[in-house]
Order: sequence, then structure tokens, then C-alpha cells
Amino acid sequence: MEGTPSPVVISAHALTKHYGSVQALTDLTLDVRQGEIFGFLGPNGSGKSTMIRTLLGFLHATRGRATVLGLDAETQSVEIRRRIGYLPGGIALYDSLTGEQALDYLADLQGREPHRRAELCERLELPAAVLKRRVRDYSRGMRQKIGVVQALQHDPELAILDEPTEGLDPLMQQAFYRILDDLRNEGRTVFFSSHILSEVERLCDRVAIIRAGRLMALHDVADLLARRRRRVMLRWRGAAPDPSTLPGLVDVQVDGDRIVGSLTGDISAFVRSIASPSLDDLTIEPASLEEAFLEYYATDEVSS
Amino acid sequence: MNRRLFLQTLRWERTRLLFVVLAGVGWGILMPVIYSQFSDALRSLANSGALPEELLNFGSGSLFTLPGTVTLGLQHPMALALLGIFAVGAASTAVAGERTRGTLEVLLARPIGRVALYASILVALLLIIAIVLTAILAGMVAGTALVGIGPQLDTGRVPLVALNGFGLWAAFTSFALAASVTFDRPGPAMGISLAWLLIHYFLEILGSLWTDAAWIQEYSLLHHFNPTEILTGVPDPIDLVVVFAAAIVPILYALYVFPQRDLAAPA
Repeated sequence: MEGTPSPVVISAHALTKHYGSVQALTDLTLDVRQGEIFGFLGPNGSGKSTMIRTLLGFLHATRGRATVLGLDAETQSVEIRRRIGYLPGGIALYDSLTGEQALDYLADLQGREPHRRAELCERLELPAAVLKRRVRDYSRGMRQKIGVVQALQHDPELAILDEPTEGLDPLMQQAFYRILDDLRNEGRTVFFSSHILSEVERLCDRVAIIRAGRLMALHDVADLLARRRRRVMLRWRGAAPDPSTLPGLVDVQVDGDRIVGSLTGDISAFVRSIASPSLDDLTIEPASLEEAFLEYYATDEVSS
Repeated sequence: MNRRLFLQTLRWERTRLLFVVLAGVGWGILMPVIYSQFSDALRSLANSGALPEELLNFGSGSLFTLPGTVTLGLQHPMALALLGIFAVGAASTAVAGERTRGTLEVLLARPIGRVALYASILVALLLIIAIVLTAILAGMVAGTALVGIGPQLDTGRVPLVALNGFGLWAAFTSFALAASVTFDRPGPAMGISLAWLLIHYFLEILGSLWTDAAWIQEYSLLHHFNPTEILTGVPDPIDLVVVFAAAIVPILYALYVFPQRDLAAPA
């Protein structure tokens, strides 16, 4: 994101929500910019849904302020909801309606034409025959697909999705990821909560980590991945070189002709240093985002 | 108010409404028939002293006159059940039920304010109450014509009966809907709404049976719906004031409380 920063779509400043003595959110401050996919990560009960419900005006903040699309979440929530699409976690639909009737009803209430419905239904494999069945006959995955369609069918500027891939099979998860990619390419903003790091790694531009209602970290995913360590295994014909001569290699273990370690920093300097006819095998595995976070937290805990 | 939500609320209730309207018309027709068949016998029984007259009355109604029969028919548990299906059952579960099912969240994700949501449901329920009440009264008018006692009923006063009855049931409906926006689950909302209706019924019936305690009837909303007085040309305007005030207070409460409430994720 070079040049002029994109406009802020969601802004929370010192957002705090208490239920009696329970602190669901504490001084949460973050910005989500236009055109990004922003991941909101945290374990169950960490405050993800509380944050989302406060943004939508379902909950009243105890302290602090939030704006969505420049509108105040407390006093202008109706106008906010006119311009967004929302998928609640574990969405409930009207069992007596067919899928099509449910989508029509929700589109009518939204007050906007469901321009994207046909495309979304096709991509999520919801044929007309399925939409004619009653919601009560749907599996959990089918309901989730309807939930995704109802959230995005009116082509909102901002999609707020609470654990959107829950119940979707792996193929549909991939289809859903491609839908979000396309939304981003069209300049739409997506804010979604998840506890699945791999999907955040796959999708998100930035990620916030929340734990016990507090913002623990806010990262650019690309930076985080670039900074992460890589697992390296080298095997040599003959004796292995002195590992201290290999730049960036840490946590080294030498086992005969094998060197195993973690690579940090500039990878090109390391690759240059190992260029040798004696090199028999080389494996470099990128750490997953999960490992990157664990590493981040380990460092954080040590430093604190 | 949201027109689509209003229409959908009517649509959710349409099948039940159809059956209740049919039952209401049937019940309405039955009352004049019972009056024409048993009124004289009951009068003789009362005059003979074999049974105290209080036992032959029912709340503010009786089978001794046609207006009294109309009152009895509208205070009878059957009428309470027909109207209570919507005034208590549907109203108390309207919001709390959506909340428990999780569908309230989907509704409120649309650009609908809570006041608009409440108003849409309230107006739809009040319309349903008006339809059911009209069906019962229409049945009564039809019944009087059917048994040839039409002249005994001043049909010109029936609209005032309907208005008073509507005020009474609007009060129970708005109470139940206020309970529905207050509680997270439909069980407590329905329980307190049903209790509210039964307390008023108990006060009305107890006061009619126990003459020393007749004063407690004044505290029953049911006592402020007296078709006998209206149909005999002596309506008490205070009755209208009382029932409509009882309808408006819960509405004001709900309009204040519902937008203030936190709607946490359904359990």
C-alpha cells in the first residue's frame, strides 16, 4: 500500500464493553482501510463477536467510539447497515421459508437489488432446485452458503463476516476465498473474524489478534510472513561446513552431514553462502502463520 | 414502520389467523343461539331462587339479555383463548422468539431501526386482533339474525363495542410485546403476559361472584370492556380512556427500553 493511504472504513477508538463485571472489550483501537481484507482473530469468547455487534449497533459501547464508513456506530447504525453486508456467526434463517424466499425477504428488507445473487449462487453451488427447498431441510453447510449469499447479494461496500467458513466443506471454502479475493479486487472491504490462521494467511492483508477483549497485536500479514523464520535442512557430501558461517541460521543442530536450523532475515545471503558442489540436498519450509504467531508471542512473553 | 416486515408478520400468522377467524365467527353465532334457547329457562331458574343470580352471571355478562350475552361471549374463556393466541402467544414470542432463534440478528442486520421493527410487529398484531374481534362480533350479529332476534341488538352501537374491545386487547397485546422486547427468551415473556391476562380475568370473575369484593372488578381491564352498557345506550367513556391508556403505557415503555437494550449473541 504505497502512496496515499486508503480511507478508513472501520475505526474503533478505545472501544470498551463491559457486562457488569465482565470485560468483553477493553480499550480496543484499530482501523480497517478501504479495499483490504482484515482478519480479526481470537479464540472463542475473546470478544470478536462483541466487537462486531458493537460496530453494528446491537451493543452499546461502555466507553470509546466506533465509526463504520464514517458513520457513528452508536447513533447512525441504520445507515451503516444500509451499506454493509453482515453474516452472523452460526446464522439462523426462517425454517419455514425456502432458500429463495429467505433471500428475497432479506433483500427486500435491505432495500437494494440483489445484483450478485445469481453469481454467488453459482459459485457456491446453490442451484435453483436447492433454493426451492425449505431452509429446514438444509444441512449446516447449505445454511452457511445462504448466509454468505444474503450478506453479499446486494453488493455491499463493506462485508462484516463472523466466522464465515464454519460449516463449509473445503471445496466451498476455496470458492468462498475466491469470492473474497474478487471483492478485494473490486475495491470492497471485508472484515472477518476467524480462529483459523491458515485462512487468515490465505486471505488477509492485515490481521488483528484479540484475547480476553484486548487487542494483542495488529499486523500486516505480508510483513509477518516475511519476518517469519523458515525451517532449513541441508545435507552435504562429506563434512558439513561450520554453521556459524551461514548467515541468518539460528537454532542450529548438526548431525553428521546434516544441518537443521531456522533461517531468519535475508534469504538471498544465505543461499549465496551455501552455493557449493558439496551441497547434496536442501529443504526450506516456510513457517506457517501459526508458527509465526507463536514465535511472535514467545518473543513478546520473553521481552515482557 | 417497515412495510415489508409488517406484511411478513401478517404472512407468518395467516394460517393460524384463518382458523381463529373461522372459530371466532362460529363462537359469535353460537352465543345468540344459546341466548335464544336458554335465556327463559335461566331466568326462571334465577327467579325460583334455586340458584343465586351471581352464579348465573359470568363476569359482567349474563344470558338474561342479548347485550349481556354479547358481553358473556366476549369475556368467556373461549374468547380469551381466541384473542389470546395473538395478544399473548404471538405478541410475547414476536421479538423474544426471533432472538432465541437467532433470526432477530439477521433482521437487524438490515437497515431497520429497532423502533421501526417494533412498530411493524405491533401494527400487524393489532390488525390481527381487530380482525379476530370483528369476526366474533360479525358472528354475533349474524347469529342474532339467524335466530330471528335481530331487533334486540342495536347494531349501530356494535362499532363502539368493537372499539372498546380493541382497546382492551390492544392493552394485552402491547403488554405482551413489551415483555417480548424486554426478555431474551420467549418463555418468561409469555409467562408474564399470560399471568397479566389471568390476573385481570381473576379479578373480574371473582368480583362478579363475590358481591362483597365487587370493588376489585374496577382494577380489572376486562371490567372496562362492558358491551352491555354500550349496547343498552349507557357507555362509560372512562372505560375507553382506561383501556387505551393501558395500551399506550407498555408501548411507551417498549419504545424506550428496546432501543436501549444490548442484544448480545443468542445463547
